[in-house]
Amino acid sequence: MKRLVLVRREQPLRGGQPLSFLIGLLVALLAGILLLVASGHNPIEIYERLFNSSVGSSNAWAKTLNRAVPLGLAGLAVAVAGSMGLWNIGAEGQILAGAMMAAWMAQIFDTLSSPILIPIMLIASILGGALLASGPGIARAQIGVNEIITTLMLNEVALRLLQWLIHGPWKDPESRGFPLAPLLADEARLPKLFGRAHWGVIIAFLVIALFGFVVSRTAWGYELKVAGSSGATARYAGISLNKKIITVMVLSGGIAGLAGGIELSGTSDRIVEGVSGGYGFAGIIVAALALMRPSGVAAVALIFGAVQVGGLSIQTLGVSSSVSTILQALILFGAIGAGVFNRYSLKSVKREKKGGST
Amino acid sequence: MTSDSSLAIELIDIWKRFPGVIANAGATLSVKKGTIHAVLGENGAGKSTLMNILSGVYRPDEGQVRINGNQHWFHSPSDALTSGIGMVHQEFRLVPSFTVAENVVLGASEKIIRRSLIEKEVEQIAQQFGLAIDPTRPVWQLSMGERQRVEILKTLWRKAQILILDEPTAVLTPAEADELGNVLRRMAEDGRTVVFISHKLHEVTAFCDEATVLRGGKTVASSLKVEEVNESDLAGLMVGSSPVISERPPHQEPGEAMLTIEELGTLDDRFLPAVKNLDLTVKSGEIVGIAGVSGNGQREMAQAIAGLRPITSGKITISGKDLTNAPPSERFTAGLGYVPEDRLGIGLAPRLTVIENAILRCYRNLRKSIFLVSEQAVNYCKEIIDRFGVRTGPIDDPIAGLSGGNLQRLLVGRELSGNPKVVLAAQPTRGLDVQGVKAIQDLLIAERAEGVAVLLISEDLDELLTLSDRLLVMHEGEIVKEFDPTTAHRHEIGAAMAGKRDES
Repeated sequence: MKRLVLVRREQPLRGGQPLSFLIGLLVALLAGILLLVASGHNPIEIYERLFNSSVGSSNAWAKTLNRAVPLGLAGLAVAVAGSMGLWNIGAEGQILAGAMMAAWMAQIFDTLSSPILIPIMLIASILGGALLASGPGIARAQIGVNEIITTLMLNEVALRLLQWLIHGPWKDPESRGFPLAPLLADEARLPKLFGRAHWGVIIAFLVIALFGFVVSRTAWGYELKVAGSSGATARYAGISLNKKIITVMVLSGGIAGLAGGIELSGTSDRIVEGVSGGYGFAGIIVAALALMRPSGVAAVALIFGAVQVGGLSIQTLGVSSSVSTILQALILFGAIGAGVFNRYSLKSVKREKKGGST
Repeated sequence: MTSDSSLAIELIDIWKRFPGVIANAGATLSVKKGTIHAVLGENGAGKSTLMNILSGVYRPDEGQVRINGNQHWFHSPSDALTSGIGMVHQEFRLVPSFTVAENVVLGASEKIIRRSLIEKEVEQIAQQFGLAIDPTRPVWQLSMGERQRVEILKTLWRKAQILILDEPTAVLTPAEADELGNVLRRMAEDGRTVVFISHKLHEVTAFCDEATVLRGGKTVASSLKVEEVNESDLAGLMVGSSPVISERPPHQEPGEAMLTIEELGTLDDRFLPAVKNLDLTVKSGEIVGIAGVSGNGQREMAQAIAGLRPITSGKITISGKDLTNAPPSERFTAGLGYVPEDRLGIGLAPRLTVIENAILRCYRNLRKSIFLVSEQAVNYCKEIIDRFGVRTGPIDDPIAGLSGGNLQRLLVGRELSGNPKVVLAAQPTRGLDVQGVKAIQDLLIAERAEGVAVLLISEDLDELLTLSDRLLVMHEGEIVKEFDPTTAHRHEIGAAMAGKRDES
């Protein structure tokens, strides 16, 4: 009898990243054929649509990029905290906080023009997310309260606040009873880059690049990684942990808040209950697939965005949302998860007899 | 295939490879039933790997495991336990808040367990083998020696016929070690087989029947009758050549006081007093050794001096500068090099690279721009690697791939590279191979010759006697006696370690 085990490679496979991506994608698509045939669809038709709708045209790319923006920023928020061993599970609520702050600014400064109003909105969104995350940061640093629980619970707080706003003070009088805030004025909307793709793509890319650089190359990022390795080692190296925990949580929340501001101003155009789109939780997956490295989240978010856009599109061909979700998971897992073979090799091991015989 | 029925264990041509390391390269072991068998070898000789294979923790790449003549292929430690093999690991696997009896039954397959019944059973087994222990006491209250008894009871209660003990005496006082020897003898007389891993030769000759010696993953001598060999033969087999141990450095007059500690008090992790009113002075150009059974406040004292543990009283001065309340980094800048006992938990960050670990203490000073890694930092790291002989791959690789000896060279090298005035070294050679021990000891001797004040905390009395100019014995958080290492008798030091004070 033989058994397969994963053995760590001495050196990561050179040039293995694109190769594992392609092979993983291929395996996932082959497995997807089984799924689609079993659920009564024509795999070729579905795959064609999946491809065309996500990366097949400039219009498709616009949709994919627009989705990748909140995914990438939420992933970055989780990964920045994760570099220090902190878990920000509250990106979802921080996105809402950011969106609400941005919408509020748009209401207050409704006479300003775009070049002034939009920066104000985005800065406010950063502050909103940062504010929501600061509580868990301070509680963790000062009295050791587990940040996973506090950030998770604050998601609910942010959501309830938003619900109250759209059912009450911010409710659009023309919404015929639907809980919606009014549409943003044109001045409050992010300008377009091409097609429907908005400038948030550039902003998100720059923010991810900035944090990727800061965490991997600067002394500040180094201190984060040392602290993430062991608190005792950090103290020994003279790194003040408490201040750093608060700073990192605030930054992480701010990044997620920015995602909310961009999503409001670039895509959703008004505050509705689903403005956060589940991106805050998807961001945890993005960060995990990027191995908690801020520099890795852009690529993962792009693939994730493409898969989501394609997955939505094939539902118009009659694929049920559950089959579509399974297919999305397969592709994501195959394409990104195969990266594990860059660091591990598969080895078959003989086993002659089941142990513990009596 | 059948084989000699008098053999309890046969490991035949075992190979086990880890990335970059071959831990076992054709190792063999055969152990007769009802005997105490020593497995000897230096650190890195492959003893622990071989025992982990025998107890089902690892699976061998090649080779056979035979128990009582039958070939086995274990998938897990519980699998091995079903076949009657129990292992007592170096690090105990106990739940501190559970009682002795609860720990013993933990993980047992029975769903319903009656407390009183288990307590009676445990008591009975304990008595049968002379393991003095109260089954109703919680484990956190127990000493290390008592905790080890719980581990042994765990295997006996599960009816293990073969017992593997991985360096069991490392955590014991000499008296406790002798007691353990008696327990093991009773178990052997009862027909059980004991495999005893050690590198303390006198224990092997004192209570083992046979010995197998490993070197570089291979068996170099198997099943030697202990009566027919002496300690120096065994030592020769272990190291392959005559043992290299540092020589006593020549006498030199110490200079002025560099490290002064007055009335130091600090608490342990349970907030109980660990160090009480401790006074200590280390002068320039002298090595002061701290001896003591582990757990008598040495660790807490070192951490308090390094600034990692808050103090409850006292004053710490380094070359005239009061550093009582200074953070660890300021103490480093003031000239304190600290080699912590806990290398990977405090001294080094395992997930980071060689260079990132090399600059841990001084990255602030090496940085010119916003970039962490400057040319200066690279040179600094390379200098440590060259000067202290750290064998490593590219400096951008994680340190996780380095051997224990090279990790320690990197750590000690980093602490000495700042030209310290005081070096505080806690267990600097523990767990290293002979070359590693000699390299680290020679570094400390060289620092002494340069006029550095060295405070050396060690559990290895030979090391302390060789290196120290003055030897202090610590017991329950206090210095109980001072010895001159050139004239001290071991039994006097031993008595002091057990708490016997100066008559004054």
